[in-house]
Amino acid sequence: MINFNSIDDVLNFAIAEEQAAIDLYTLLAEKAVNPAVRKTFEDFIQEETRHRDKLTQMKEGKKFTLQPSEVQEMKISDYTLAIKPSPDMTYADALLYAMNKEKAAFKLYTHLAARTKAPELKKIFLLLAQEESNHKLHFEIEYDDHVLNED
Amino acid sequence: MNKIIDKEFFSSNVFKLVIEAPEIAKARKAGHFVIVRIGDKGERIPLTITAADPLNGTIILVIQCVGVTSKKLSLLEIGDFITDVAGPLGHATHIENVGTLLAAGGGVGVAPMLPIVEAMKKAGNRVITILAARTKDLIILEEQIKQYSDELHIWTDDGTYGNKGLVTQGMEEIIQKEKINQAVIIGPAVMMKYASLVTKKHNIPSIASLNTIMVDGTGMCGACRVSVDGKTKFVCVDGPEFDAHKVDFDEMLFRLNAYSEQEKIAYEQYLKQ
Amino acid sequence: MDESLIITETERNQDWRAELRKTLKNKNRTAIPRVKMPEVDPQIRNKSFIEVNDGLSEDIAIREAQRCLDCVDPTCITGCPVGINIPKFIKKIESKDFAGAIKTLKETNVLPAVCGRVCPQEVQCEKQCFYTQKLKKQPVAIGYLERFAADYERKNGLTSTPEISESNGIKVAIVGSGPAGLTCACDLAKMGYDITVFEALHEIGGVLKYGIPEFRLPNEIIDFEINQLKKIGIKFIPNFIVGKTISFDDLKAQGFVSFFVGSGAGLPNFMNIPGENFVGIFSSNEYLTRVNLMGAAKPDYDTPVISGKNVAVIGGGNTAMDSVRTAKRLGAERAMIIYRRSKEEMPARVEEVKHAEEEGIEFFMLSNPIQYFADDKGRVKQMKVQKMILGEPDASGRRRPVPQEGSEYIVDVDTVVVSVGVSPNPLIAQVLKDINISKWGTIVVDEHKMQSSIEDIFAGGDIVRGGATVILAMGDGRKAAAAMHEYIQQKVKQIF
Repeated sequence: MINFNSIDDVLNFAIAEEQAAIDLYTLLAEKAVNPAVRKTFEDFIQEETRHRDKLTQMKEGKKFTLQPSEVQEMKISDYTLAIKPSPDMTYADALLYAMNKEKAAFKLYTHLAARTKAPELKKIFLLLAQEESNHKLHFEIEYDDHVLNED
Repeated sequence: MNKIIDKEFFSSNVFKLVIEAPEIAKARKAGHFVIVRIGDKGERIPLTITAADPLNGTIILVIQCVGVTSKKLSLLEIGDFITDVAGPLGHATHIENVGTLLAAGGGVGVAPMLPIVEAMKKAGNRVITILAARTKDLIILEEQIKQYSDELHIWTDDGTYGNKGLVTQGMEEIIQKEKINQAVIIGPAVMMKYASLVTKKHNIPSIASLNTIMVDGTGMCGACRVSVDGKTKFVCVDGPEFDAHKVDFDEMLFRLNAYSEQEKIAYEQYLKQ
Repeated sequence: MDESLIITETERNQDWRAELRKTLKNKNRTAIPRVKMPEVDPQIRNKSFIEVNDGLSEDIAIREAQRCLDCVDPTCITGCPVGINIPKFIKKIESKDFAGAIKTLKETNVLPAVCGRVCPQEVQCEKQCFYTQKLKKQPVAIGYLERFAADYERKNGLTSTPEISESNGIKVAIVGSGPAGLTCACDLAKMGYDITVFEALHEIGGVLKYGIPEFRLPNEIIDFEINQLKKIGIKFIPNFIVGKTISFDDLKAQGFVSFFVGSGAGLPNFMNIPGENFVGIFSSNEYLTRVNLMGAAKPDYDTPVISGKNVAVIGGGNTAMDSVRTAKRLGAERAMIIYRRSKEEMPARVEEVKHAEEEGIEFFMLSNPIQYFADDKGRVKQMKVQKMILGEPDASGRRRPVPQEGSEYIVDVDTVVVSVGVSPNPLIAQVLKDINISKWGTIVVDEHKMQSSIEDIFAGGDIVRGGATVILAMGDGRKAAAAMHEYIQQKVKQIF
């Protein structure tokens, strides 16, 4: 288990996680057969890059006043089978994959927030969790509207 | 309506039909199948195209009598018509020179295997073929497949022809003797399950050609769905060939037996008539 | 002014229409209550595939037609995706010119017997009816009247052959014999083109045959309409999968100069939850195809179907209604709808939901399956359902269902039909490498011309829209036919 001694540790960890996501999506975008799926992964890269940059800015001392308001959870991803990404995956599969990934990231940050005693660290983790949850909700709405359109 | 040009029995319940189907013959490649229906009340069933003659516009189907529809087909004569023949369906086999190919065919699975073996041999592979069945009467297409095999080994469960034993034994013997680059496994689902366990053990990349229940055959119903590497695939449009080591054969066996009670009763009733 | 508006106005001013309006005062017309469609008793019809709606008799149809006020500004037409001249056909019925009514319908609608039965009139023409909009009363039963006129033609052998231009010998290929393809084929054939419709299945009609059950749309009605199309020279080739049996290039080599792709949204969507591949769990496509197309409910047909005592259908659209009502007819003791949202949000036709309720279908709203369990033969025996609550509206304004933790419960089921939606058939997009497709696999087209990124290929219906309605597909077919005609004529001019 990683011990965080400072806010910097936390942020370095989160930045590394976001970078890993960017690298993964870049690989998937390169390999995607359907150009629209490729575009989706490229959009993911942009968003994760924003996350990474936000965290980096946070680290460099800029203050953010985002209120962690409650984000609606739809939890479609909680109950679908985890799929491995592949170059020929359909857009629906890409969405499911992204949902699972974001859910994992959300869980990670929430878990960290619960374990952290320092209020400032806690707040940062909750902020990150909310960002991931927003991301997941976005994908869930897309899936909801197009794949489960009669449910 | 497709006319039957020729017919021949290989054994008491395995037979071949040569059918007029000019467009299908022209478009067909090894690995493709057709969906066939007899009569307005008939069901749709998939049958692999064993061979095609584009010049004469005919295709060859090799069929085993296992139920009502295959029995009805066996009773048709030269000059009769099959109500509906649609195809070619599925993905064509990926043909490549890999070096040495082990082709393991069980029972009537040899019929779909023949075109694959032929194509792989023509692509320059060394081909070692095993034909396996319960008994001599169920060993089919031996002469045809011998043409395209560098070695041919026959195994029967009861020893009435060739070696006595299971296909898995035959495979192990061959694998011990020489390096195999790829395997193709076609036969009853149980046979494919155990044969692919053998090749998995020896890390030999293997293709299985799956024979699930189908209704439309064009990807619109999902009757033929199987789990491959945890993902649901449709045999009719994503297959019929898949990485044998990733197929959930147990699930496939359940789904294959979905109608076994109804099929058995229907077949018995039909035979009584 | 729009040309079609001028025509409707001119026709409204014709003597016979003006005279007809005078035969009954508007206040008497509006006093007539909306007709009730005679229906087979629910407890009888839920055990057979007999058509539920009996249809209107002549007298009753005329009475209902009298309710129509023949508005100066017929807003009903704006609600119709193919722009049927609704007041005209209704007034023809009122004046007992039934042959004239069906002729009017067929000017814009190739399949009125179908649309009269399956269109969601409550959100289309009848929603825009003056009664609904201004009087806040039940609208004129436009759908029932359309059906009446079409059935009258069929039952009395009236069959009006439409005017067909002289044959120009130019070959056009239609891929798919569903409503989009049939409509495009008919319009182009009337313009003199040499039309061949290629169909992958062994029966002509697409989703009309395999998807919509006999108790809503009898197959003999579809066959009647298809015969009318054969009479105007359209050729139908079943068991022919364009892209597999033959390539587009080979068809061009055979002389086809343009193509309409109406291959539909036949790919079933599954939910990807644990146990979904157990025996006894179907897509609605498979379940309905076995029964509607392959006759699985009839003892002398070879195709079987599994349909047990406790059947759950997941979803809330027309397909889910069709599936659950079929299950009831196949002997289910419990035929259940499991739907994730609330009743108000169900996309199914209002009449279908009502009929389903009458037939004893159980409705479980705000419920979602999350797992299936099977016996030792792999046959489904139970499902785990989780309850939902509707959350606050999100950015799109829609209230989203949110799972309730700890609300899970087990239901005994021996058959499940997954009816959550369909996606476009991927084959055409796979074989036409250069064609522009959306992320959902639909063919991208110009919305007015229905032309794809490949200039000689046009498309319409579900392959463009994702799963949608029969009438929208027909509207696309019409638009495409007009645009294809223009395209072909331009090409012909270039050659000469």
